[in-house]
Amino acid sequence: MKITTPPTLWRRLSQLLFFITFMVLFIHTDYQGQDQLSGAVNLIFRIDPLVTLAATLATRTFIALLIPAFFLLLASLLLGRWFCGWVCPMGTLLDGCRPLFGQRKASLPAALPKMRYVLLLIILVGACFGLPLVGFFDPFAILVRGLTMALYPAFGLAMENLFTFTYQQGPAWLNMVSEPIYHFLRDTVLPFDQKVFTLALPAIAMLLAVFLLEFVQRRFFCRNICPLGALLGLAARCAPWRVANRQPECHACGQCSNLCRSGAIDQRSQVNSERCILCLDCLSRCPNQHFAFGRLKSQPLPVAEGLSRRAFVGTSLAGIATPFLFAVRPFKRQPEPALIRPPGALAEDQFLGRCVRCGECMQVCIGNALHPALTEAGFEGLFTPRLIPRIGYCEYQCTLCGQVCPTGAIRRLPVPEKQTTVIGIAHFDRNRCLPFAKGVPCIVCEEHCPVSPKAIRFREVATHNEQGQTVLVKQPYMVDDLCIGCGICENKCPLPGRSAIVVTSAGESRHQKLLPSDGYG
Amino acid sequence: MDRRRFLQHAAKWSLSLPLLLHWPFSFNSCGPFAEAAPATLPLATVGVSKGKDYPALVRQVISLIGGMKSFVKPGAKVVIKPNISFDRTPDLGATTHPLVVRTLAELALEAGASQVKIFDRTCNEARRSYNNSGVLPAIEAMDNSKVRCEYIDRRKFVTTPIPQGKSLKSWDIYQDALEADCYINVPVAKQHGLAGLTLGIKNNMGILGGNRGQLHRQLNQNLADLASLIRPTLTVIDATRILLRNGPSGGRLKDVKVSDTVLASTDPVAADAFATMLFDLAPHQIGSTVAAADMGLGTMDLNRIRRIERI
Repeated sequence: MKITTPPTLWRRLSQLLFFITFMVLFIHTDYQGQDQLSGAVNLIFRIDPLVTLAATLATRTFIALLIPAFFLLLASLLLGRWFCGWVCPMGTLLDGCRPLFGQRKASLPAALPKMRYVLLLIILVGACFGLPLVGFFDPFAILVRGLTMALYPAFGLAMENLFTFTYQQGPAWLNMVSEPIYHFLRDTVLPFDQKVFTLALPAIAMLLAVFLLEFVQRRFFCRNICPLGALLGLAARCAPWRVANRQPECHACGQCSNLCRSGAIDQRSQVNSERCILCLDCLSRCPNQHFAFGRLKSQPLPVAEGLSRRAFVGTSLAGIATPFLFAVRPFKRQPEPALIRPPGALAEDQFLGRCVRCGECMQVCIGNALHPALTEAGFEGLFTPRLIPRIGYCEYQCTLCGQVCPTGAIRRLPVPEKQTTVIGIAHFDRNRCLPFAKGVPCIVCEEHCPVSPKAIRFREVATHNEQGQTVLVKQPYMVDDLCIGCGICENKCPLPGRSAIVVTSAGESRHQKLLPSDGYG
Repeated sequence: MDRRRFLQHAAKWSLSLPLLLHWPFSFNSCGPFAEAAPATLPLATVGVSKGKDYPALVRQVISLIGGMKSFVKPGAKVVIKPNISFDRTPDLGATTHPLVVRTLAELALEAGASQVKIFDRTCNEARRSYNNSGVLPAIEAMDNSKVRCEYIDRRKFVTTPIPQGKSLKSWDIYQDALEADCYINVPVAKQHGLAGLTLGIKNNMGILGGNRGQLHRQLNQNLADLASLIRPTLTVIDATRILLRNGPSGGRLKDVKVSDTVLASTDPVAADAFATMLFDLAPHQIGSTVAAADMGLGTMDLNRIRRIERI
């Protein structure tokens, strides 16, 4: 008897390989000793047809950065949802964690899989009319966000604490072993700096929810929610190569339909190609070997799980109407002063339309300056990047966020242009600033101000200190025209708690500039 | 400063000076006492070299003050502390020149150092500052496992008492700097809004943890207090380029003056005092120099600094 490698082995290998690639790219999304990044995890969003479609509809522009997505769409038109089964890192993680969840048979409403088409529709219609939703449901956005904002920093902290303990409390022989390990980890997988993120918990909660749904059903997210899967499923209808049951009159023992992780095999043992993710389990496990992959005839299928016309029209109307409700809030007219966008961010409407909320700009930000917004940009702006100078400032010579943004929501700026891009303007709080309030020398802000000549200067003034003595102190002042809002002054202000110099977004330059044609702007 | 060096210094000062000047000596009476001494007697030596070849300058200036062998004993652990606090290229004068740092590392190795560490707690992002200052690439190019340009490891800050401190009683200080057998302070000479100039005594801030901005309230005395604890074996001031305005971060070539000078001394106060003159200022105009001299950490009286020049 000939021993053949089961086809599922190839699938597993492919999943492993792509997952490792994904993680390497993720860790690589960091300063690498040069101003230009050599590669970043933004690749995964650039091959994402859902993100491409939504961003294109939202901005009505052709986004050159997202061209790779057409290749994935093309591949899906030929092979169906192979991406979901062979490549998708979220799918790989869900499959990998399968042993944790155990097998259980839950009876779920048959209409549940329709949900993904409803979501797809509302995302696309919403994008068209100004309600950006793709970032909340796109699997990569959920995954990268959870990794960036919570898992990766937490992993770094755990490692640092462990090795701090061994370093400070451990005996010398232990440190002989542990220190080289720590240095190796720091050079390879650990984050360079310990970062914090404002929405670490919501980001991880969202990712965790996807995993907890595995308790209900295998690949629940992929079957019922994932709008990217839905889009690829629509493409799969046309795919000439597919998995199918060669035997129209199979005995229907039902093993295959229980086995199928994507619920693609019905009671008559026929394969639904909108659902099938080509995991190939049925090929190797069918006792009669009825299933095959190739140019096979498909069963006639209702489009989009038979989404009714009423549901279609209703969803579309909701997608059209909601954006107008969102538009009648005051900050749409007057931007929130605390909402400082990264340098190179497009004008707000265009920015929201393109931003996938993937958090890559936050992962790459070397100052830990970018944080996910909660409601500063409205509910729909949840998880979009916002600069919080007190936590981290924007490094003067750095342009990394614009380099990793997969959709060009943050433009890729040349360094000289970045250094003249105004993201906000700082102003003093003289009630707190030491030379004003207490007659005490300080001007740490002036020292750090990176623009040259400095936007923060000082004059020597005779004033009274807390003891009532007349003293000469240097008092800082702002030259507004030179300030670019990088926030290093607010960050380095030595006062405990709130800074005595605060940056607000008033005066930012992005609203005066014309929109570039694509992300390479 | 370790106990042995403290005892050595104490013995040297308390024995030699009274003998020399027939006067009982203590740290606190140094100020008025110095005035009484003859103005011509040198208390410190500063070596000065000028020229375009920076590695040669450094070698020259070190040999002028006695050669590296008199500071680095075979097997010694050497720390070189440059100022690479800002994300600026060498030509902008905000950071110590990589060739100066590298040559010092080479000299230390030639004198038999078992290990040379180079680090600075930067103001801008560490990796950008280390790379763009040129110091990290220059040290990596040496490709010698004994010489390491390391990023600050947060675990290594030790809360250290400063016994002689008047205003600064204790602070978190980097362990490697405290434990060095030979500590070479290599600041770049530049303008600084609050301090006037930042030179050797100010450069010690790069080994401090915590919220350093808070030290600015009484910057001069704090720096002098710190200098009473951190006594560099050698202060080498890089004035190959000096930043005249918009310091300490700089960023404009217009503000940089190429002065092709390197100076070195074992007396941190004398080195600073001497470097001050490159900016057409007098030593007493720099508060940290005055405060350190008042604490008896060295001399700022130019008449009493012996300068050995080679130009």
